[in-house]
Amino acid sequence: MKAILELSQKTITLERNEFLKVKGSIDTNVYYVDSGSLRAFVLDDYEEQTIRFGYQDNFIASLDSFLTGKPSELFIQAIKRTVVKVISRKQMDSFLQADANRKVWIEVLENLVSQQIEREIDLLTNSPRERYLRVLNRSPQLFQEVPNRYIANYLRMSPETLSRLKKVKS
Amino acid sequence: MPTEKLIQLLLEQTRKILNQAEKLKDQDLVSLTWREAPTSWNILECLEHLNLYGHFYLPQIESKIAQSTTKPEAEFRSGFLGNYFAQTMLPKEKLNKMSTFKNKNPLNANLDKSVIDEFIHQQIKLLDLLNKARTVSLNKVKIETTLSRFLRLKLGDTFPFLINHMIRHFQQIDRIQAKRKAA
Repeated sequence: MKAILELSQKTITLERNEFLKVKGSIDTNVYYVDSGSLRAFVLDDYEEQTIRFGYQDNFIASLDSFLTGKPSELFIQAIKRTVVKVISRKQMDSFLQADANRKVWIEVLENLVSQQIEREIDLLTNSPRERYLRVLNRSPQLFQEVPNRYIANYLRMSPETLSRLKKVKS
Repeated sequence: MPTEKLIQLLLEQTRKILNQAEKLKDQDLVSLTWREAPTSWNILECLEHLNLYGHFYLPQIESKIAQSTTKPEAEFRSGFLGNYFAQTMLPKEKLNKMSTFKNKNPLNANLDKSVIDEFIHQQIKLLDLLNKARTVSLNKVKIETTLSRFLRLKLGDTFPFLINHMIRHFQQIDRIQAKRKAA
């Protein structure tokens, strides 16, 4: 992981609510979150759906653009003041020439696939309470770093339902 | 210019404008309504001026795209007039002042911060329209200008025209902020 970070020669600082990426852009970079947090969401006719969060010491990307070089629907927005390291597709490609590096990258991708499966189960879980508990157990960090309204949107419930569920727990 | 290249350029310019507006949201009303002289605009008036143009163009662009039966094309060729319009909007090295139309002048309109929300809302709409523009011909779809129903620009020239106009007024906003600091 450290080897991947060392590729980066550029950082971007975003203030709260600033956009790293907007709908329809081709963004083939991978970003490493040095500090702060971001959210990736889609927007259709003015309804937002949060897809993923990026926290400190994690990667965030428009993986669809990264893999295909095509436009991606995703918006990526800073939730608070955020600093990211930029790793371009080109830097990544030359990094992946070496077998040892490819191994590291495969680990990152495998990790991502299992996260995606967890997320798919979240989305297909009917009970709001179950969805809440799954995410709470998996990512307690989320509840420290991200405002309620974004977590509620991520969990596909109203902010009121989320705060009710949080009270029941404690 | 390849159409997708143009759309990518415009999306990126709009992203930057959107971020500048997000930053303004964190400023207090005193700085947002500061003006250098009684007849010069404050920051909110600059944004309201842009909103007035957005009100005119964005709904029209939306309905023209929705109604169009044209097919997307790989290349966009700027029209003579459209290119001229878009280029004159861009700020020059040395400030080239322009006068505004009376119905687009918000001086002393007594504005509040909701102007910024409206502006941001319009930029999200603009992003949406830039995406929808991929489904039609940027050469053949024509947009009427505020000057005349008969003076029409290609859709592919209308977007740069609108965005350059915003870039121009965001430079004005930068100047207002610099002057306030110096005052």
